[in-house]
Amino acid sequence: MTAVPALNIQGLRKSFGKTEIIRGVDLTIGRQERHAVIGPNGAGKSTLFNLITGRFPPTGGKVSLHGKDLSGLAPFQINRLGLSRSFQITNIFPKMSVFENVRCSLLWARGYRYSFWNMVSKSRDLSEAADAILDQINLSDRRELPAGVLSYAEQRALEIGITIAGGADVIMLDEPTAGMSHSETDYIVDLIRRVTENKTLIMVEHDMGVVFGLADRISVLVYGEIIATGRPEEVRANPKVQEAYLGAALEAEH
Amino acid sequence: MDLILVNLIDGLVTGLLLFMLSAGLTLIFSMMGVLNFAHASFYMLGAYFAYQISLFMGFWMGLLIAPVIVGLAGAGIERYGLRRVHQYGHVPELIFTFGLALLIEEIVQFIWGKNQMPYSPPEILQFTLFSIAGNAIPAYKIFMLCMSMGIFIALLYVLTRTRVGMVIQAALSYPKTVEALGHNVPLVFMGVFGVGTALAGVAGVIAGPVLGTFPGMAFLLGSIVFVTIVIGGLGSLWGALVASLLIGWITTFAASYNVAMADILVAVGFEKPADLSESALRDLWSLTLPQIGPILPYLLMVLILVFRPYGLFGKRDV
Amino acid sequence: MNRQAVQNQTTAPQGGVTLATALPWIISTIVLLFIPLVFTSNSAITIMNQMAITIIFALAYNMLLGQGGMLSFGHAIYMGFGGFVSVHVINYVEDYSLPLPLPVLPLLGGLAGLALAILIGSFSTRKAGTVFAMISLGVGELIAACSVIIVVFFGGEEGVSGDRTYGLPVFGIEFLQQIEVYYLIVFWLLLSALLMYLFSRTPVGRMANAVRDNPERAEFLGYSARWVRFFSFCASGFFCGIAGGLFAINYEILTEENLNLVQSGSILLITFLGGVGFFFGPIIGAIVFTLLSTVLSLQTDLWQLYVGALFLAAVMYFPGGLAGVIMMHWPAFKMGNIRLLIGPYIKTFTPCLVGILGTAALIEMTFHFRHAAIGDEEMTLFWTTFNSHSVLPWLLVVAVTAAAFWLTRRNLPEMVAAWHTANSLPGVSK
Repeated sequence: MTAVPALNIQGLRKSFGKTEIIRGVDLTIGRQERHAVIGPNGAGKSTLFNLITGRFPPTGGKVSLHGKDLSGLAPFQINRLGLSRSFQITNIFPKMSVFENVRCSLLWARGYRYSFWNMVSKSRDLSEAADAILDQINLSDRRELPAGVLSYAEQRALEIGITIAGGADVIMLDEPTAGMSHSETDYIVDLIRRVTENKTLIMVEHDMGVVFGLADRISVLVYGEIIATGRPEEVRANPKVQEAYLGAALEAEH
Repeated sequence: MDLILVNLIDGLVTGLLLFMLSAGLTLIFSMMGVLNFAHASFYMLGAYFAYQISLFMGFWMGLLIAPVIVGLAGAGIERYGLRRVHQYGHVPELIFTFGLALLIEEIVQFIWGKNQMPYSPPEILQFTLFSIAGNAIPAYKIFMLCMSMGIFIALLYVLTRTRVGMVIQAALSYPKTVEALGHNVPLVFMGVFGVGTALAGVAGVIAGPVLGTFPGMAFLLGSIVFVTIVIGGLGSLWGALVASLLIGWITTFAASYNVAMADILVAVGFEKPADLSESALRDLWSLTLPQIGPILPYLLMVLILVFRPYGLFGKRDV
Repeated sequence: MNRQAVQNQTTAPQGGVTLATALPWIISTIVLLFIPLVFTSNSAITIMNQMAITIIFALAYNMLLGQGGMLSFGHAIYMGFGGFVSVHVINYVEDYSLPLPLPVLPLLGGLAGLALAILIGSFSTRKAGTVFAMISLGVGELIAACSVIIVVFFGGEEGVSGDRTYGLPVFGIEFLQQIEVYYLIVFWLLLSALLMYLFSRTPVGRMANAVRDNPERAEFLGYSARWVRFFSFCASGFFCGIAGGLFAINYEILTEENLNLVQSGSILLITFLGGVGFFFGPIIGAIVFTLLSTVLSLQTDLWQLYVGALFLAAVMYFPGGLAGVIMMHWPAFKMGNIRLLIGPYIKTFTPCLVGILGTAALIEMTFHFRHAAIGDEEMTLFWTTFNSHSVLPWLLVVAVTAAAFWLTRRNLPEMVAAWHTANSLPGVSK
């Protein structure tokens, strides 16, 4: 990889009190790569996401997006640099309509900023873009409903819609299929594949099976450290992964 | 020097009184996330109930019974009012307690009228205990001091030495976790609300005779109590204590030293204009410290918020 | 509350002004223009002036509470400050005979409100929720307390007064008459309401809703929640200032009462009773509250007690306010089922109303019994004069009240059933 990587993480650390949750993570993700971070419960996957996106300040190390250092930036500043994320726990605007949810997530990216002289409903461009996204996530017939009344799977789809709407070229999805049935999972995975065409995707997954067909490369995070990174079949064959991942998974079950 | 001592005592009395209110408010806020706007109204109810009881059974029975009634009323309001509004979110909760404060004031006016009640200290305490350089210190003031000290120590004991106290302390730092620990959270909430309001009731019983028992007493003290806990840091008991004492002393000292702004301005080298009536700055020249005393807590709060948004001791994000 | 959903239903899909969106505005304009021809008395116009000013204030307040999720306990200061500045401008212009026509004065009031909002908002909008509420309370109290100290500006206890007829007539209007002031206020009311409505449709207005619902998510969409709150706050301050300027014109005097907690509290009450979830909620609130306070305060000394009880009941049982109650009936209305509700409503709410009036009568009688002058045992209630110290009226009222509440309770299930039927799709049995 000679070009500037989409995301570069160096020596990232995070402690809560005395407990170190992320213990020095190094990771480089190239442009238009689909990268999955997997690992057992409590491995620190969501924390890693929160550190990258500026939700928590890291204790050490640094993250750069397209070669640009993200230290000390607030989430909204990081988002403006072209990184968008979803949340493990559904995080939408429950009282606003589905359409409004998507339209709001388009505003900044389309240059509307804090303007109070534009009427959002006047902008054909905005409405069409929002409808296009609703179409992509199959929620067109839910357009006018308040987002809070959607079914769980629909809310997850909306969550992804909000995340991709702004057109960020680095998309981070935190367990997009958490708590879903098999058919719902297949639907969401297919959706992810469609909407992240030509984009960099980083997703956290608990379940290795889900990401297998989707990811170009996989990193395995166990107890705050990445123990392996590589192509899916390499990772699966890696004895260290099998031991640690299965061991930890067994432990978690007990 | 002697005046300083007198002011120190007066400020301590005011401060500890404030603490009785701010402690209850902080406990309720930390546990339930509800800022009880009507907290000072329970203080007022304490004073009125105690007055009514003292008519029949004397001051001491009032001191004993009134806080219990106030606490029960508080618990009842939590159970049948606040808990219902809780589901709508924090803002409606705040609005509810605000409406409650309005309603309590109206009810008090309905029952007791708009005039001040002749509620006075018990006769046994109506004498001068000692005097400092000609300033008489009434026995009742020392009684107030002892009462609030006693309550403070009791509160400290309960919070640090008992099981219930441990739960409450845990809830102060990790509100979510305690909920998950399987404690009967609604009951704990109701209890904390009841105890918090009862504390306010005690404050009302002992402050009523000195500060006056009238329908406006709640709003008069209420906003200062809020300022206190903001300065101390929302959810911090120590912060509430420090801020209460700070405000107690600041207001007492400001009220008793007649420093004029004009003197200060002249001292720094400004020349006093001959004719003040035309000057736009005439208020600045005629300002005195006792005049601005009452607004000092608010000024302090604004400064704190600008420079230390979480208050003196606050850590928790709200 | 699906406000957006409802709003979207009433707008055309791709924006633009349609008859459906313009109709409420056209009707309001016509009503406002012609209503003085129906209610011609001076006192009616006085009430309408007060109402219109309150509507602007309440709408501006709801930009924070309803649209931005920010609860302010000291919002009177923005209106008050705008009013004080306006009164000073009136006096200044009169003293130096400057050519400033009266109708533009509210704009200056608005700018004053905006300036104060920029100053205070710069630190108070850092957080929403409880912290914001506390700061607003503290700052409000600070400025209200300052009003007795800074006499030059706030005029101390007696306030600051001016004379609105200072200048040259504007198009021959001298603003001597209340009716002339009425039309000036109506002009600013329509303009401000329209601008506030349009504000809610701008990117910043939409994001205010988003930040209200979920500030963290908004941050991950590129918006700083703090700046969104700040802009809403400033806009609200501006329109409060306009209301203040109109207040200065209408009453020609401002005092400490325009700044204090009572004023701030009542605007919260008005907005909440009207309903924070809908744009028109505060308008209903302002109209109903102004009428209620005018009518009730003439009838009874205890009106604030009733208003307080009404407010608390609304918070507990109707958090959507009057607008919420009205919009609750929208689905049934659209399905043409509203007529199913009329009968049960009459059967339940008539006894309920009687019961409430009976309770109020008991309260009034108790109050009279306790507080009337000694020897004054006659009291008049509901056009009936009787002796409040005799047993018969008490028994009668208690009996009627109890019976009314019993009847309400008995008819309640029927109403609930009717409600469910009315809200079910045709063909779908309950």
